[in-house]
Amino acid sequence: MRKLLFILVALAFIAGAVSAQEIAVIVKTGNSSFWQNVQTGCFNAQKELKAQSPKLSVTFLGPQSESNITEEINIVESAIDRGVKAIVLAPSDVSALVPVVKKAKEAGIPVVIIDSLLTGDPSNYVSFLATDNDAAGRACAKELIARVKAATGSDAGKIAVMSYVAGVGSEIGRVGGFKDYIAKNSKLQVVTTQYSNADMPTALNQTTNVLAANPDLVGIFGANEPTAVGMGRAIAQAGLAGKIVAIGFDGNAPLQNFVKDGTLQAIAVQSSYNMGYLGVKTAYDAAIAKKKVPAKVDTGFIIVTKDNIDSTAAKNVLY
Amino acid sequence: MSDTSTTHTDERAGNATVRKGRSKLALDRLITFGAVIVLFAVFSITAKNFFTMRSILSLALQTSTTTLMGIGVTFTIITAGIDLSIGSVIAFTGTVAVMAAIAGVPIWISMLVGLLAGVVCGLVNGLLITRMKLPPFIATLGMMMVVRGVALTITNANARPAPESFGVLGNDAIFRIGPQFPGISYPVLIMIAVAFIFHFILKRMRIGRYTYAVGSNEEAARLSGIKVGRVKIVAYIFSGLLAGLVGIILASRMVTSQPNSATGYELNAIAAAVIGGTSLMGGVGTVGGTVIGSFIIGILTVGLTMQGANYFMQQIVIGLVVIFAVYFDQLRSRK
Repeated sequence: MRKLLFILVALAFIAGAVSAQEIAVIVKTGNSSFWQNVQTGCFNAQKELKAQSPKLSVTFLGPQSESNITEEINIVESAIDRGVKAIVLAPSDVSALVPVVKKAKEAGIPVVIIDSLLTGDPSNYVSFLATDNDAAGRACAKELIARVKAATGSDAGKIAVMSYVAGVGSEIGRVGGFKDYIAKNSKLQVVTTQYSNADMPTALNQTTNVLAANPDLVGIFGANEPTAVGMGRAIAQAGLAGKIVAIGFDGNAPLQNFVKDGTLQAIAVQSSYNMGYLGVKTAYDAAIAKKKVPAKVDTGFIIVTKDNIDSTAAKNVLY
Repeated sequence: MSDTSTTHTDERAGNATVRKGRSKLALDRLITFGAVIVLFAVFSITAKNFFTMRSILSLALQTSTTTLMGIGVTFTIITAGIDLSIGSVIAFTGTVAVMAAIAGVPIWISMLVGLLAGVVCGLVNGLLITRMKLPPFIATLGMMMVVRGVALTITNANARPAPESFGVLGNDAIFRIGPQFPGISYPVLIMIAVAFIFHFILKRMRIGRYTYAVGSNEEAARLSGIKVGRVKIVAYIFSGLLAGLVGIILASRMVTSQPNSATGYELNAIAAAVIGGTSLMGGVGTVGGTVIGSFIIGILTVGLTMQGANYFMQQIVIGLVVIFAVYFDQLRSRK
């Protein structure tokens, strides 16, 4: 028994010495196609970088759900304990992740933040890669206002915002930008904001109830992937497809179908692939190649509608 | 009680307790049902369009899934156990059914496959608890994680659109008469049927009585010849089966497989059972009570959303309702 233990411990040490260069990618949840697309970007970057650094390994982890902030903190802590070379992190809360990111910095592990804002001292991380969520939110608002005007002839009326997790950086930017643009550029009134916790059936039920309570709603905005899918289903079920201006966010297969059949008028699609790909490359540059990296990188977004859904630009970001 | 001879007192006390017990149960049920009526009235007045045929039918549709889950978990709680894997099983079974349908399997068979997946999960839970002697909390907690992981692995976390005909079960209804009366949805009919069937099982069939016996006093049940292990396995199979049914209904309503959804649904199911009078200590609970508990949560959720109330208010209110429902229940049983 003791000999076995000795062999196992020895193996563990050897394994530790061999896996010398790990970049840990930690996202808000493993449970969504958006983040899986980020993963594809990460692994493609790994493939390219392995040519220069054969010992490089990229791990990809996330908690069960986007609202499970404590679990994300724990995953980051264990990455620090493992002694990874760099961390690429999509924080599920603007401020809760700050202490653990600080810990990583103090342990000499460079951190690259992707997708969502992190507050606190910006020197805690080396780079911030994201969609400009504020700009994307505003673009969605602009699209909604234009279409409401085209449909009803005026820019006054009631709209609803179907959001996902309150307090997360991307939401603050996206929904904040959307509401601000609406307030400054139209007479539309947001009658309610609902939070689906990024759960599709919850978004479906909430949208059904909001549509029932406000039969004169002219527009509605679904601020992330599962929320937009649930919202689209509710609109189709209520027989309102095409009768209400609906803007969604992100671009998985069900959302693409909704755009094609007119249930959703437009979707803002982020380049989640770029977040993963550029995120790993930036982390590599900072930690292993020891190069200077830009403080901010805009990974971009496209407004996809029925008219441009088949274009190459759109195809590059859809999944 | 008056003091005559000891045996007379005991007998009369015994009878009185039984009568008291039965009338207390009836009173409990009346109070919870009364709460439903009051809530319904309040929201009809304060929320726009709440008291319309359309909204009421929509409420029934939205609550049907909580009710089905609640009934399943009630069985496990009565045996003094619990089932935390419900949310994951819902996501898993819906995903399996949709994947089968996408692969070309006829819709009804795909749904049966989904139900079977739910039964298998329930069976595994039951075996973990009875053969490996794991505490139900731990066993179902572990399954919650394993099943979720499997669901995500087989789909790579992608939501896949199902063929349109898959959506009939969740979205269609009978008695459709124009836009004002959208009809009674199939899930609502399923909920009513399941409620009656499982009420019958619990109250009139032997397995139901054994379930109560195992939950009240497991040792005594074992000593009186009841196959305790088998009774528990049946309870968990019921829970898995109904979770599977919910998974199929939700997948059908969404017309999409969603391996990443239903996180945390088990807590709604448990809340529904508990508000309806099921005791976490075991041995107490009814299908009717769970149905009422589920509708209390449903009315609160739908009503508060339609009222335009802050979403966070919903969570606070439902949490308070759970706390006070159980508190009052305990007060009454302490007397």
